Amino acid sequence: MNWSLFFGELVSGLTLGSIYALIALGYTMVYGILKLLNFAHGDVYMVGAFIGFFVLQWLGGPLKPVVTGWLAVAIMFAVAMIGCGALGVGIERFAYRPLRNAPRIAPLISALGVSIFLQNSALLLWGPQFRNYDSFDLVGVKSYHIGSNFFISNIQILTISVSIALTIALTLVVSRTRTGKAMRATSFDRDAAEMMGISIDRVISFTFFLGSALAAAGGIMFGLVFGQIFSLMGFTAGLKGFTAAVVGGIGSIPGAVLGGFLIGLTEAFATGYLPGGSVYANLYVFALLIAMFLIRPSGLLGSPVIQKV
Amino acid sequence: MKKVVVAAGLAAAVAVLATAAWGSTRGASKVASATNADTALVKCGKTRTIGLLAPATGPAASIGINQVHWANFFKNTYNRTHKTKKIKIILEDTMLGSANGTAEAVKGAQALGSNASVLGVVGPAGSNEVKATTGALKGAGLGFVSGSATNASIATDGTRTGYFFRTVPTDDDQSKSVAKYMVGTLKVKRVYIIDDQEAYSTGLADSVQTLLTAQGVTVGRDGVSQQQSDFTAIINKIPRNTQLVYLPWQLPPKGQAFGQQMKSLGRAGTKLMGSDGLFDPAFSGLGNNVYDSFFPVNPQDARVAAFKKIHHGTELFGAPSYVAAQVVSGAIDRACKNGTASRAEVRAQIKKTNIPVTVSLLGLPVKFAKTGNLVQHPFGIYHSVKGVFVRVA
Amino acid sequence: MSSLGGGQPGEGGLPAAAPEPVDAADRSKVGVDEWVARVDERRAARKGLTGLVARGWKRLPAPGRLVVLLGPFAIFPFITNEGNLYRYGLITLIYALLAMGLNVVVGFAGLLDLGYVAFFGFGAYLYGIMASGHSGHHLQAEIAIPIVIVSTALLGLLLGLTSWRLLGDYLAIVTLFFLQAFVIFVNNANGGLNDFSYPFVGKVDLTGGANGLDQIDPFNLFGYHITTTKGYYFFTLISITLLMTMLYFVNGSRTGRAWRALREDPLAAEVMSMPVNRLKLLAFMFGAATAGFSGTIYGAVQSGAFPGDYDVGLLITIYAIVILGGLGSIGGVVIGALVVNGAPELLRSSANARFLFYGVLLLALFVAMRPWYKPVVVLLGTIAFGFAVHGIASQVWSRGTAGHIAGGGRLGRALEHWVLLPSHTSTIAGWAYFALIVSALVLTLVRGWWRALVLIPTLYLAAFVWENKLVEQVSGATRLILLGTLLVVIMNVRPAGIFGTSRVEIV
Repeated sequence: MNWSLFFGELVSGLTLGSIYALIALGYTMVYGILKLLNFAHGDVYMVGAFIGFFVLQWLGGPLKPVVTGWLAVAIMFAVAMIGCGALGVGIERFAYRPLRNAPRIAPLISALGVSIFLQNSALLLWGPQFRNYDSFDLVGVKSYHIGSNFFISNIQILTISVSIALTIALTLVVSRTRTGKAMRATSFDRDAAEMMGISIDRVISFTFFLGSALAAAGGIMFGLVFGQIFSLMGFTAGLKGFTAAVVGGIGSIPGAVLGGFLIGLTEAFATGYLPGGSVYANLYVFALLIAMFLIRPSGLLGSPVIQKV
Repeated sequence: MKKVVVAAGLAAAVAVLATAAWGSTRGASKVASATNADTALVKCGKTRTIGLLAPATGPAASIGINQVHWANFFKNTYNRTHKTKKIKIILEDTMLGSANGTAEAVKGAQALGSNASVLGVVGPAGSNEVKATTGALKGAGLGFVSGSATNASIATDGTRTGYFFRTVPTDDDQSKSVAKYMVGTLKVKRVYIIDDQEAYSTGLADSVQTLLTAQGVTVGRDGVSQQQSDFTAIINKIPRNTQLVYLPWQLPPKGQAFGQQMKSLGRAGTKLMGSDGLFDPAFSGLGNNVYDSFFPVNPQDARVAAFKKIHHGTELFGAPSYVAAQVVSGAIDRACKNGTASRAEVRAQIKKTNIPVTVSLLGLPVKFAKTGNLVQHPFGIYHSVKGVFVRVA
Repeated sequence: MSSLGGGQPGEGGLPAAAPEPVDAADRSKVGVDEWVARVDERRAARKGLTGLVARGWKRLPAPGRLVVLLGPFAIFPFITNEGNLYRYGLITLIYALLAMGLNVVVGFAGLLDLGYVAFFGFGAYLYGIMASGHSGHHLQAEIAIPIVIVSTALLGLLLGLTSWRLLGDYLAIVTLFFLQAFVIFVNNANGGLNDFSYPFVGKVDLTGGANGLDQIDPFNLFGYHITTTKGYYFFTLISITLLMTMLYFVNGSRTGRAWRALREDPLAAEVMSMPVNRLKLLAFMFGAATAGFSGTIYGAVQSGAFPGDYDVGLLITIYAIVILGGLGSIGGVVIGALVVNGAPELLRSSANARFLFYGVLLLALFVAMRPWYKPVVVLLGTIAFGFAVHGIASQVWSRGTAGHIAGGGRLGRALEHWVLLPSHTSTIAGWAYFALIVSALVLTLVRGWWRALVLIPTLYLAAFVWENKLVEQVSGATRLILLGTLLVVIMNVRPAGIFGTSRVEIV
């Protein structure tokens, strides 16, 4: 039994999974309330990563930042999360709100349009080149090990813990605050919630803000762990994020996190153990999705949807 | 009744169309249009026109623009040093790697073919593009010289002999040089090869793997997608006792990310070797365990320095396009000696190109074999010393 | 039940609702019964040129409409050279054929299929396997093409089976993943070192892998070889004519009506005892078969099939064609293909693109603001504003006017005196782009004279961003940015596309 490979892929899978989980959270919240597949979510993630990059440049660059490495990272997180939150709210306001009562396909096409727009605006303004976060020089990547088989780096630890922390924060917001309660009510029955005096527009905007902020955090973490970002990174990440949300049960927050980790681990272990692993890794995730649809269409932690006539 | 009327009207419409189609294509036999464009004599005035197919926009734009710059550098140098003749370059953007695949390249080729003043073409850049545009370019009688299409089979499969030439050594040459260096000089016994799923990469990876296995080296093989940046999962899969990882990739930032992620997972000791796509300071800056292969352009050449002054960078990827433009313009000049030239004559002159090694930018003499490949085609091996690539073989 | 369709889509009919006085209630087309009842009256009473054309169009019998739509295409090859014919004609027709199949799946049956171009690729590759130098087989086209059509339909059946239990959105994801799977498969199935080893036959070179399947034979129809662009062009034109006719009849048939019912409300359709799942499968198969057929043409024209050609980028283009032309409108698809394919070709040279850009801007201005004096005022205001800014900038900020427009001709030279052209544009252009987006969005929030006021700096900013940034990447990123914006705007303003029929919802 090759323990070194096993633990290596375990750590990789958890790291990847925590990023997917953050993206999946945004998808699941929006879908829960609006029943809308927000194609543009993956591109918000990409914009977050770029905002982080430019903040870093503005702070002096990874080689000589004006503040210490970790503080710079914290600033990057803060600015990107707020910036992307605003972006998410803007997208909702102008691309989705007018179509709230339109047939289902209209907001989907609009979302596709926003996604193309964001991707290509990034391509136009920032070019197709890959941008480097250079975490080595910024915070110094240290690799820790337990025994001779288990290796983990400080950035990976950061990624997993930040992801879990943000999820806990989100769960607290949703279950303990008034706005959270309003969100839950809206996702349960929108018309009834409106009649109870909840401002639907504000609740939806807030949902988009939260989801986009989380995606931005995911984007920055991706840049830190893997070192590189580019304008087209949102597409596959968004797809996998949505898969994670569906696998975990759409509309369920713990489900999204579970789904995210599951997808990340599948990818890592498929790469490590299955033939032609890395090339076909996406296909294995796809197969997992299909299997989930056939066995349990409402996802792992989702509740079966009963359609009322 | 209504349906009958509609059906009758429709049948009539289809019949008219079919007759029109039959009539229009009847007179034109398969070779007629080709022969017309092929042998049509163009008056060689003061300005001679060359077509250029390169990816000026799109995902491969960074290398495409480099090729355009080098070709224009040749044009400007030529126009400066010649008083009575000038060259004009018409650029058709092929958008290699973009959403529409090879469609843009074919459109560009058709456009150049229809332009009667174009006598020869530089490009296209990608091997798949060469295959897709062969029909259009051959049909128009144009010879095309590529500065970067390195797939071995496009010259040997016989479909474009006499029309297609290239001023770069092929992937086969690169893989032979690389395998020879790995086994002979570095003496590695365990190698891991990772391709990036593109045609160029898988071709190189396949041939290197075959050569290495034949010499008794243990080779592991895997692939990543060009869009991928997270290599940690695949790095974990590489056995810890691997001595060298071979990355025949096209995008230097990817190579850089791979090297950095290797370091972050505690694998800084493993050697890395790239291909000519990774010949870039981003890759060499990783450390002194990095090697690469590239065609033997002399970095001290005066033209390289002049190019660097104009374009603030020593991107050498496009240098073969300079040579390709040189070849085509030379052929046009020779064909134009009697005042007129046809595309067929230009092709014949391209075949007779002979640029000696002292004059050639490439560090190799430029002479074509019957297949369109260069007659002499070594690749150089480089080692990263203090962050810069230095030639070692 | 939450929706009722507002009439039959897709007889090639022209748009239904004219721009009405806009206010919040009208905007989402949610209205009271009386408003709904008057819809037809309003349509009939449209004034002016559009009304005249619309009424004339409605009166033409179906074959007449077909001739009007496709007539120009038939004449096109005789008035242009081969390069243009390929670029503007053949590719447009192939995309139109492809989009027509998608129109059946999305527009007629309402299924969001995001893996559609995989069938296109499948058709090309399968034809290549049967008739190419690469594979060694050389079947004649009249045998190969029907085999391809049937096989692609079967593949569509398989994929459609997954839609059996899936809601619309999940279907979208599954089909998108299918496309990814297809591209990965095709990229690796070359019998090489990365490929699967099949039982009985071991490793087989099916698709040539990343190098593509090359040397595909030209069509060999009953001994007649189609080798020229013109030949393929007419072949495709005839195919489109036949397909459009078939769709016209299907639209009026039981299956067509069943599809429309399925699109409007699947639950209601099921309750009315329509075999919903079978209808979905039928739609999928039909779309897949059309895509496979267009794939054979494309493969033969390019004499090769390469993995990169059949990916998400093409999917977006085809979707844009269908959406623009109007979901469910047969004729609209052809117009959509012309616009979506022809316009970027025109945009290739930046001089043309410049004309088109300013032309479209002016047109949009005059169409959107109704009494004719309003846009004139805005235009004069913008020109004055521009000269003012340029004048101030040339005094205060010399770098700002140092650049110049290359190759713009007279228009370019005139613009040099009007638009700010800084010599190093990258960061400024980025912020300007951002400012333009914000300003355009603000524009949708204000009304009346405020709108006219905000419009002036917005237009100037648009020109600035165009000259300094967008022009650089006209055929690449800019084209897709415009496409994306187009999709969002169309969905907001006219969800039915140009030629679809707007649907009226009763709440």
